[in-house]
Parts: sequence; C-alpha cells; structure tokens
Amino acid sequence: MAPRFEYAQAEEVRDAFARHGVLYLFIGKSGAILLGYPDTTQDADLFLAKGAANGTVAVAALRELGFDLTEPQADEIRRGKDFVQLRSGPFDLDLVFAPDGIETFDDAWRRRVEVEGFPVCHPDDIIRSKEAANRAKDRESLPRLRAFREYWLRNRP
Amino acid sequence: METRQPDDRERREWEAEFEAASRRPLRTRLRYAFIHTYKPVLDDATYRSFDTMAQYREWCARELPSWLGYGPAV
Repeated sequence: MAPRFEYAQAEEVRDAFARHGVLYLFIGKSGAILLGYPDTTQDADLFLAKGAANGTVAVAALRELGFDLTEPQADEIRRGKDFVQLRSGPFDLDLVFAPDGIETFDDAWRRRVEVEGFPVCHPDDIIRSKEAANRAKDRESLPRLRAFREYWLRNRP
Repeated sequence: METRQPDDRERREWEAEFEAASRRPLRTRLRYAFIHTYKPVLDDATYRSFDTMAQYREWCARELPSWLGYGPAV
C-alpha cells in the first residue's frame, strides 16, 4: 500500500507539474481539503487538461515523481482517457480528464482558486462534479460540502 | 441531486468545524486529511483507465462492493 498523501507529496506534485508545465487542478474532496474543508479522503484527484501536449508533459512529470508507467499506459495518458487510476507510484493518484458536471478545463481554470501555489477547482465546480457523478458517497457528503461552500464564500481571503 | 437538509444544530456544528480548520495551517490540515485504508477491488490493480467517465461509473457499479459508496445513489 502506498504511503499517505501529505503536504510534502502535494508539494512534489505542484513543483513537478510546474516544472513540466502541466495544466491541472486539484478536484474532488482533496481539492476541497486544500480550500480548508475539514474532512478525510483516501487519494488525490487531479483534473488535467485534455490534449496530447498536456498529456506528454504530465507523463514526464509523473515519471519524475516516481510513477512506474509502461509505455502503453503513458500513451493512454497522452491520449487523455477520461479517467486514469494510478496505484503504481509513491502515492495514489486519480487523473480525471473529463469530470462529470464540468464543461471544459478552460471553464474550470478561469474559476480556479490558488492556495499556497496549488491550483484548485472552485468549490462550485467540486460540488457540480459530485452532483453529476451522483454516487452514494457523494450524496452523503454533499450537504456538508455545500455548507462549507457558503462558509468559504463568506470568509475567503 | 436531492440530498438531505441539515438541521440548525448540525449547521452550527459544521460552522464550528470550518472555523477550527481555518485556524490550522494547510500543512497540518493535510497531515490529518489523507487516510489510507485498503479498498477491495479498487486497490487491487496498480493501473486502470477508462475511455469515458460513463464507463468508469459502470465499472464501479458492477465491480465494487456497494458499501464503498462508488455506485449510483438510489
């Protein structure tokens, strides 16, 4: 089992992705936690811009981080499959290229929030994607997440 | 998606939790936010990919134990 994702790992992602110029956003509960949402999660979810150029730099960054990707796997990431689950690296990562409920990466990028250099989806996008995914675990978490959105909008720096 | 409405007491408790979290540095928040427990099936492969989110959702509903919560809300 991979080690826990902690601040140091988040920094490694941020720094490696910045070095390689990867266009990405933290999304899902890991994104909400970066915004201040007090809860727990098991892995980090990254929303990546779809396209060969971004996929190519993402593969380079992931390999630098220590993810053991075969060439066919790397090709799939370059092509931008909608969802890739990675459990072959120093921590668990889910790559999402087309999250439910969000039209385009550019839309989400325009609404993004920066937290200590981490690019994070706006709470509205995090909520929208969970509403659209319509999973049992999302139904459980949405009322509190919506309450956090209200709190965050009132108190954001 | 229809979800339950929290009552006033629950809202106040959540607000207090949000306030407390806002006083902690990000590094501290992340230290306690990410937990790792084994999730059957989901954690049994080092790599998975899906052409579409719909295919991923269908796979989750079909292959994962329902108690993990990855299936559709009913």
